[in-house]
Amino acid sequence: MNTLRSSLATPFGPPLLERLQAYWMALGVSDPNLALALSEQTLRRLPDFPEEGEIAARAIIAAGELLDDWLAAALGLPRPSPALTAARAALLSGIVPEWPAALFAPPGAAGIALERLRAAIAEPTPAPSPGSMPAQRIEPLWKRS
Amino acid sequence: MTQPPSSIMGHTLRRVIFFVLVTLTTLIALGLLVSVFQPDGFSPMELLLLLLYTILFAWICISFWTAFMGFWVLLFGRDRWAISRQSPDTSPDPMAAPPRTAILMPIYNEDSERVFAGLRAIHRSLATTGQLDRFDFFILSDTRDPDVWVEEELRWQDMVRALDGKGRIFYRNRPENTSRKSGNLEDFCTRWGGRYRYMIVLDADSIMQGETLVEMVRLMELHPRVALIQTPPVPVNRESLFARILQFASSLYGRMFTAGLNYWQLGESNYWGHNAIIRIQPFLDYCGLPKLPGREPFGGEILSHDFVEAALLRRAGWEVWLAYDLVGSYEEIPPTLIDYAKRDRRWCQGNLQHLRLAFSKGLNALSRLHFLMGVMSYAASPLWLLFLIATGVEAYLQTQQELVYFFGENWQPVWPVSFAVEMTTVLLVTLTMLFLPKLLALLLLLKDRQLRRAYGGMLGATLSVLLETIFSVLTAPVLMLFQTKFVLAILMRKAVGWPPQQRGDHQTGFTEAVLAHGGHTLIGVVAGVLSYLYVPAFFWWFIPVLLGLGLAIPVSMLSSSMALGRRARQWGLFMTPEETESPTVLRDLEDGLRENEPVLPVLRETPSSRFVQVLIDPYVNALHRSLLPEREPPGKRRRHYLEGLIHQLEEEGPNSLSPTQKRELIAEPETLLRLHALFWSRPPAKMML
Repeated sequence: MNTLRSSLATPFGPPLLERLQAYWMALGVSDPNLALALSEQTLRRLPDFPEEGEIAARAIIAAGELLDDWLAAALGLPRPSPALTAARAALLSGIVPEWPAALFAPPGAAGIALERLRAAIAEPTPAPSPGSMPAQRIEPLWKRS
Repeated sequence: MTQPPSSIMGHTLRRVIFFVLVTLTTLIALGLLVSVFQPDGFSPMELLLLLLYTILFAWICISFWTAFMGFWVLLFGRDRWAISRQSPDTSPDPMAAPPRTAILMPIYNEDSERVFAGLRAIHRSLATTGQLDRFDFFILSDTRDPDVWVEEELRWQDMVRALDGKGRIFYRNRPENTSRKSGNLEDFCTRWGGRYRYMIVLDADSIMQGETLVEMVRLMELHPRVALIQTPPVPVNRESLFARILQFASSLYGRMFTAGLNYWQLGESNYWGHNAIIRIQPFLDYCGLPKLPGREPFGGEILSHDFVEAALLRRAGWEVWLAYDLVGSYEEIPPTLIDYAKRDRRWCQGNLQHLRLAFSKGLNALSRLHFLMGVMSYAASPLWLLFLIATGVEAYLQTQQELVYFFGENWQPVWPVSFAVEMTTVLLVTLTMLFLPKLLALLLLLKDRQLRRAYGGMLGATLSVLLETIFSVLTAPVLMLFQTKFVLAILMRKAVGWPPQQRGDHQTGFTEAVLAHGGHTLIGVVAGVLSYLYVPAFFWWFIPVLLGLGLAIPVSMLSSSMALGRRARQWGLFMTPEETESPTVLRDLEDGLRENEPVLPVLRETPSSRFVQVLIDPYVNALHRSLLPEREPPGKRRRHYLEGLIHQLEEEGPNSLSPTQKRELIAEPETLLRLHALFWSRPPAKMML
């Protein structure tokens, strides 16, 4: 871990790792070591991202993308998709305490936690069932048709 | 969709009786006044007085005879032609799937905590009926304030979690609030209307009992010719003295008035915008509102859409009913006189626009009358003011005339004829028309012991009616001046200035009262001095109006007091059945607001700004992004604009942005994500917020 940390710290510097670690903990990772490991994994993905904006901000976005990858895999959701964004919100709402254990568990081992997560995904609106509502004619009595 | 001939004849007979009574009473009062003016011919001022008196007296007569018929109905039992008493037009098919109903709560920058507490109370009440699965809830947000928007999303998600409401309780915020409330409902109908047979439209402060909701659906199922059933919402829950007096009056007199309205309007009733059930298909087919040609106030968007929608349904042959006897429908009213006037300001323009609509092609006669009655509820104020001024001027002119006792060669004096008896009769008739309904409502209590107790007993109710009458006499001139100002401002296309608005229960302070009523007091003093100096006889008749204006500031301040409201309640004054024995749904609302124990931990915190929270908090940020509608990424120019706002936020902080700019930042998913990332990428000391 330390070797990895030093190799990653060279281009990005320790402050970035600390920011990422803090971010992973804000995402609900309570173990600081795991948060650090996830931060390093995030940084490894960083060169894949377009060279736009501040590097630290890109790293934060990369952390979210990593989380989405795991969520998509665990729940079988397409990415990108609104359902995946909703799944991220459900996960971060605290519905699955210690979510890394559920997301990183071997297939089939975290069925209950994933079901809870699936059930907590928000459904803001139902499927559309459109109808037309034509504007009515309202004309004054004195107007000739 | 046709009715049996017997009921059509009966309906016609009721209307004939009603309008004959209104016309006869107006003609008799007019005759008395004519007999006063006629002997020495009509001056232009007298003709003006006659015209104004006819219009105003006819307006009072409609109200009086409506109340009288309501009194009659309630005295002798229920109305046999009430929608709840009619035999079914069709027998429901037991094999058919039960209808689905959407409960709609359109909101706009409301107090989210109250809105969702109300919805939870309704949901709980509906659950006790065992028919919850036939209803879906929609929170249709048009909110523009970014903090309120985020708060709504969190409260919605909390409600879904707490009530296991996934797939039954929905939320959406419109990107653009085109055509305001009517556009909000139209958006629902055109997107999801096909899923439901009925929609029950609520207001942000509406509360409805589950049993009432179920009964509304049952009535619609039994009567396929009916497109809309309006329930009479009873004002509840406010504690200020002003609101308690209004709640008492609306409850005690309102039940009589709604019974009376149903008596003569029957299936050609009106829609009041909320606490009503609507059949969606005819609403889709016939209630699309056009933009009226011309400029405001009479052209442009239709503001008070409810009356128009009822008229359009009637024009298409559908029935619209007022279910006066359906209980369990509630609303909240403004807590102070000033807030009440502010609400009037909002409603005034929409109602004045109806003057144009009353003369539209194809409408039923009663629909036209509904429009004109809406206009008169505001136009009556400037007409009364004009009438008072004209009366004063006429009285002054009378004092200037020298009495002549001898004419020509006649050696005998001709004594002036006194019309004191006729004038007193005119005044007494007018006062009777105004105040008799209050007495009739009180008399109805003698019939029902339980109801009597619910209004605080006969003594308490009588004292309350007396005090309410004094209060309404004092506030009537103030409301008259407020409404006159609104009507004139709207007609002249001018904005009316107001002190900053305060939300929720609050007491009117001295500064607010002086700013709102200073002009009224001044007018009262000037009118008092002028009438005392120049028309002393008129001055004494004018006293109630002068007192109302002169005391406007203290009356407005005192009546806004919640302490006085509670004290009056302790004394058994202005009691309503809902206060004496609160219905479960209202108790649930109260408990929900008091306990307020959200499931979501993020709602237990009280951040300084939900806007900042949506930028920082990963959960709030993700939830908000997941609720944003899918749309095309912003164009180049738009991206530059948003970039500028981000820089402004970074350099000058969130307070430098307007609510609209904040909304723009959080309405675009990429920008929101970028801001979130920017925040977390800064070392703590350099965090931008």
